[in-house]
Formats: sequence, structure tokens, C-alpha cells
Amino acid sequence: MGDFCREYTQISLKASEASTPIRHKTQGREAAVVYFSYSSAHKRSASKLLGYPLRSATKPKEEKPPLVHSSYSSAHKARREELWFTVGAQHIPFGASPQPAMVSQYGIKLAAYLISSSYGDFCSKVCECLLSRGTLTLAQIIRFTELSRENVINCLRVLIHQNCVQAFSIQQEVAFGEAPKIVTQYMALFDNTIHKMRFPKFMQIVLEELGKDCLGIFEGLLQHGRLSLNQIIDRNMQTPDNSDVHAVRESFSRLLNARFVERCPAPEPFLAPPEEETPAKKRGTKSAKIAEAPKTIEQRALATASPMESIRFLMEIDTLRGTSEEKGMESHDIATLEEKWKQDFSDAELSSSGKKKEILWRVNFEEFVRRLRHKACIEYVRIRLSDQAGIVLSAILELTRSSETRLKTDKSASMSINDIYDEVIKKDGGLGMDLERVRASLVQLGCQIPTTGIDETYSIDLKNIIELAQNEEVESVVLKRYGREAYRIFRLLSKSGRLLETDKISDTTFVEKKDTLKILYKLWKDGYLHMEKVSVNGPKQTLFLLWEVDKESLWVRVLDEMYHAALNLRLRITYEQDQEKEILQLPTEKLVGELEKRYKRLRKVRIILESSLMNLDDALMLFHDF
Amino acid sequence: MAFRGRGRGRGGFGGGGFRAAKQEPFELYPELEDLGTAEYSNRNLQLIKWYSNLQKYWNSSPYYYEGGSERTRNVQKPDVERLSDKDLQVANSKPPLWHFIKLDIDHIPAELARGEKKEKRGIKRVRWNQESDLHKLDLFEKLEQKHQGEEGKENKENEDQEEDDEKNEEEAEEEFSDEGDYEQNEYFDDDEDDYNMGDDNDDEPFF
Repeated sequence: MGDFCREYTQISLKASEASTPIRHKTQGREAAVVYFSYSSAHKRSASKLLGYPLRSATKPKEEKPPLVHSSYSSAHKARREELWFTVGAQHIPFGASPQPAMVSQYGIKLAAYLISSSYGDFCSKVCECLLSRGTLTLAQIIRFTELSRENVINCLRVLIHQNCVQAFSIQQEVAFGEAPKIVTQYMALFDNTIHKMRFPKFMQIVLEELGKDCLGIFEGLLQHGRLSLNQIIDRNMQTPDNSDVHAVRESFSRLLNARFVERCPAPEPFLAPPEEETPAKKRGTKSAKIAEAPKTIEQRALATASPMESIRFLMEIDTLRGTSEEKGMESHDIATLEEKWKQDFSDAELSSSGKKKEILWRVNFEEFVRRLRHKACIEYVRIRLSDQAGIVLSAILELTRSSETRLKTDKSASMSINDIYDEVIKKDGGLGMDLERVRASLVQLGCQIPTTGIDETYSIDLKNIIELAQNEEVESVVLKRYGREAYRIFRLLSKSGRLLETDKISDTTFVEKKDTLKILYKLWKDGYLHMEKVSVNGPKQTLFLLWEVDKESLWVRVLDEMYHAALNLRLRITYEQDQEKEILQLPTEKLVGELEKRYKRLRKVRIILESSLMNLDDALMLFHDF
Repeated sequence: MAFRGRGRGRGGFGGGGFRAAKQEPFELYPELEDLGTAEYSNRNLQLIKWYSNLQKYWNSSPYYYEGGSERTRNVQKPDVERLSDKDLQVANSKPPLWHFIKLDIDHIPAELARGEKKEKRGIKRVRWNQESDLHKLDLFEKLEQKHQGEEGKENKENEDQEEDDEKNEEEAEEEFSDEGDYEQNEYFDDDEDDYNMGDDNDDEPFF
């Protein structure tokens, strides 16, 4: 493990040395300084590890303890490498506009590490190759990873089964005169790979909402990636607390109804080559085209592979029998159920060769991310505005959850005031609220009360809430790293959204001119600000410096730093466990004296680091998934 | 690339000479001085436990792929074989991948799929739970101890033997399937041959 970690750190060191421009050489001599001051102190460790300070979960109005400096070995100070992205086999330097599909440097490293710790080094190599080089064919993967064909094939089998890779076949362009070739390409699913860090959170959601039986099935799906219903039942027989087939199917259908489980996508969808659009069509769909950017081949593959919405959560193809089956389940006895179970197998979809094939099921990540997104919004509203606003928002979101089609919906669906009120009363703490209070909370949430009063519907702007939360996160990073004055300056720039000149900044924020300049340079050097020089030819030539916050590129940089921090935390946790692995193998009775002290220390360290990682993961989702 | 001025004691950097920066020894994992106290709730503990259980399961499952060709190497024969080693091997051997992953063409892409003859040779008992075998053995042991002086003892012994037989059979089958002659064709990798890299002719007639 040590070599592995060394390899990673060396990669990052090499990256830093290879790409730092001249002005960064002085940093080699600086002692690394890490700021940390939090009321929830368990975040200190994470910030220490990386110089990435984490926002405290409590209100910012609280008094913060004084800043403490701590020197740290250069291995873990915040890296000043230039960020780069990869598209295909090219390296695109940071600054070129990033496309949504690309993954940043440390994102790839984190994903590769998660795969290697779970599925071994071979799988990790294949995954890293796909992430950094984009979509590849089997032959290309074999060539780039330099593994044997058998190994690559088995790794791809495992990765596809665990939902980290999606395959699709396309028609390859060939020279004139040859028959078109069809090749299979593989793409890495970065989001699903990173979700592995969050599996416990998903499990908790399932446990809270559906109970222990469903959790058992769900855990099996998490462990194996994909399972058919028969496999689920089979597996359940071998657990210590096994239940009968009836109960298992019941739990499974509950999971399905809550949309926690979905059908697996098609293993190898064929993408027809895109046709030229006729001019008439173009005019008609002009508005649609403006709204949608042209889809990349990966997006098309995913869209083609995913099952239709109508059957995505459907257990049996035969809908008529399906509904009556699920409703009348209790009245059937076990014998008929087992018969139906066998029939289920034969009812399943027809495969391409005409035989019946079994349906595979997997975890529906989209639903869980949606729930976590709602949770984050509600929490933010609860802290920033009021408890009541939080209750109202959670009521609205619960009502509109099933109607959300995309993951990142901007606005929640419109709900009438009466529906909202009915739901609010059902919640804890909502009982005492009356219509007026609900209306007041809605105003707080940014809605406007319609004057007509006939059709009172409201919808909440979720995108706005997420953006506010993201802004706060970045601002707190600036506060911790650069100080209060830098915080003021950054807030001014981020709120104004346009270029501001140095003097103007200095006047508005009441900071001395020379300090302003120093701070602005520091922020610019680290990539937080964008600078433009304007020279004015007047009576004398003056050079004005204009500054602004470029949110898009800054968000990407912040996200990358967070991936880096998460990777470091995971490496450290594994290291600590490795150090004490002899102690972990002893039974608890033998742990006395010195050994007990070490065990306790390990436990404490582990809990702190893992808790920090979980909080960091919340921030990660805030910037990437929400 | 000149690494002057970098204070890192990595590799063969030993030699002296005056450098501008102070050389610090390179510690990959420096000691954490002040970790601080953590306020954690029981929820967090449960999440941590779940995560480590998941990790343990994956590491012990066939999903943790260690390379097909190394399978024979993994079976490390100690210098002096002992009878107890046999049990050790059974406990540690992982079920093959195709127990869990359906390798037919309906579920994975065509070039990764494998024929069905393997599956038909019988997934006698897919071991979803690694401990379920040991569990049953423990159970039988306990039952045996309870009914020691009784007639039931004979029945239990028979069942034990059956269980052992089943295990042996499975083990034999696994060993058989792992190293039998039928395997040879499966893993005979034609593609290692440089002269016959024929993998793009899938859909075209081969003249």
C-alpha cells in the first residue's frame, strides 16, 4: 500500500514540478501553512491533510476561535499545479472552456483509487485508462493498459457488472467501398464510480424509509452491482435471517415503488449514425436546438441504453397481471407464488436470440442523488432562513418528488397552497402552522404571493438555493485561507458579477489600497480571480487592473481540490489501518495496556477521518451532482 | 527538468552541495499532531461500519480481480503440506466470476460474453454468503455436542458426513473445474499469438 500511495504522491509532485511556472518556485521554500478554525472541530483533520478548509455546518454568525498555524510537510500542502483535463488523448490546459463530460485530474485519481481498493489493481488500471483517454475499444484498452487480453476482458466484465462502465456499438467510418464495420466501445461512468463512496448514505436512506428487510436486499444490490430477482431470492436464502419468497418479493417491490431500484441499461445498444437534418426540420426545431447543446456520443449512448421510463420500474412486462399480482399478493399462498415466480422467469423479455432472458436490476443512483439534493436544500434553508421555512420546503419537495423528471431540476413543480398546507401539518413541528405562517415561509423562500388569490400555486427555485449554498462554501474557503479582508473583497466581486477596478474595490470594501492589491494578486495567482489589464491613453498613460470572479472555472478548480482532499483522506485512513493491522486481528479480550491504547487511538483517528470524509462528500455532491 | 531548489530527499538526492532551500526529509504520512476532538453521532458510526463491511465483502469476493493467469500461482503449496491446510484452502478460495456475473450475450457485450457450456456444468450452489458454510458447520458441531449420548448422534453424524461430502464434492468439483482438462481450451488464448490477431472480422465473412 505504501508504494501505491507513494506512486500517487509522486505523480502529483511531478505534476507540480513539471507545470509550475517560474513565479511558483518561491513556494518551495515556504513552510506550508494551514489555517483551521472551526466550531465543529472534526473538520480540522481534513483541512490539515490538505490545506482545504471545510465549512462548518453551524451558522457562520458564531464566533470563530482564533486562527492557528501549523507547519506541515510539503507532501500535503495545497498543490499549486495547473489543472488539466483530458479529452481523448489530448491534454487541454486549464483555461480552455471545460465541457460537462470531462473529469478533472484528481477526480480521475480518486475514481481509480476507489476502484483499486474495491476491485483490485487490474480493474483500476482499466478504469483509469478509460477515464483519462475517453471512450475506447477493447483493442485500444489492451494496448494502452498493457495487460493481457484475458485480464482486460475480465476486468471489463466486473466493471460493467458493477455499473462503472457502459458499452455501446457504433458504426465505424470506413474507406469508400468497404462494408461498414461495427465496433464496440466502452465508456467509463465517472459519477457511478464516485458514488461508491456514498453507498452507506444510500443505505441509510433505505433503512429510514423502508426498514431492515429492504435494506438486506439493497445491500446485496450494492455488493453485486446487478442482480436478477431469482438471484436476490437465492441470496436471501443464505443469509442468517432468511425470509420466505413471498416476503422477499414484497420487499423488492417496495424498493421498486420507491424507485430505489431500476432496470439495468441495455448491455450494448447500437447507435445509429446521426443523419443530416433537412432545412425544414431545422427551422421547426430551432427553439429546441437553442436549448440543447449537441449531444456527445457518450450522452447518446447513455440515452439509448437506459430503459424506457414506462418499464424502468416495472417488475413484470405483463402489466395487467402485474397490477393485480401486486395488489393481490397477500391472498395468494406460497405454492401459487412459487409457480408464478417460475413464470416470472419465462415472462421476462425476449432476448435477441428469441429465448427468454432474465431482467437484471440495479440501484437507481439518480433517485438517491435527488433525495440528497433535497436534503441539502432543506438543511440550507433551515439554517439560513428558519425552521419553518425548512418544514415548508420539505413538504413541497416530498409532494413534487415523483414528478421530477431530470435530476437537476431548476424549479420544483407548482403546488397549490392547500396541498402544501396539508403536507406541512403532517410533518414534525408543522402542526402548529397555519396558512398565514405557511405563506410567510413561502415568501421567505422567494415566492411571490399572487394577488388574485384564485389559483394560488407556488414553486420553489431550487437552483437558486443550490447556487447560494455553493457561493457560501467557496466564500468560507477564501475566508479560511486568505483572511477576512480577502473574504470581503471576494464577496464583493462574486456578488457584482462583473469586472471591477482596484481602486473601486478598495473603496467599497474599506481595505487599504496596497493591501487590496496584495490580496488581489494572491487570489489571482491561485486561480480564484480573473484579471484584465486596460491601458487608457489620456494625458498620461495609466494602467488599470480589472478583476472579476469567473464562477465556472473557479467551481471546477474547487471541485478538483475537493477530490484531492477526499483522496488524501482515504489514503490516510487506509494507511492508519494498515499500521495497526496486527492489533485489529486480535480479539478484543487481549487488548490491554499498550495495545489497548493503540486500539483506542486508531478508533478515534478513524472516526474523525471518516466523519470528515463524509462531510467533505456532502460538499462534493454540492458542486458536482446537485 | 532541473530540480534545483526543491527540498525533497527523494531518490538519490543524497549528495551535499549548498542548496537554496532547506532539505526536508520526505515523509509520505507525517504524524498528525493535533487531531482535535470529533463530535460524531451514532449515525456516523453506522455509516463507517457499513462502508467497511462493503469493502471487506468486495475484497473477499471474486470481483476483486487478481488476474486469471495467476490463479495457479495463488495456490501456494507450503513446504510441508498438512491436513489442516486443506480446510484453509477451501475457506480462502473464491468462487469464480461466472457464479455471479451472467456471461451470456443478453447481459454483456458480445465480445465479452462467453458461451453457455460453462454455466450448464452446474452452479451447484452459489455462495452468496462466504460465512454460510462455516455457519452450517458450526451449527452441526453444536448439535452434535448436544446429542452426544443419544441415538440422534448417528443421524447427526450422517448429516455431518453428508455436509462434508457435499463440501468435498463441491471442492472436488471446483478443483476439477479449476484445473481439469476441459478448461484448457477455454483459456487457451489465441490472441496472444502475434500472427493471428483476428478480432475485427466479427461481422464480415472470413475468406
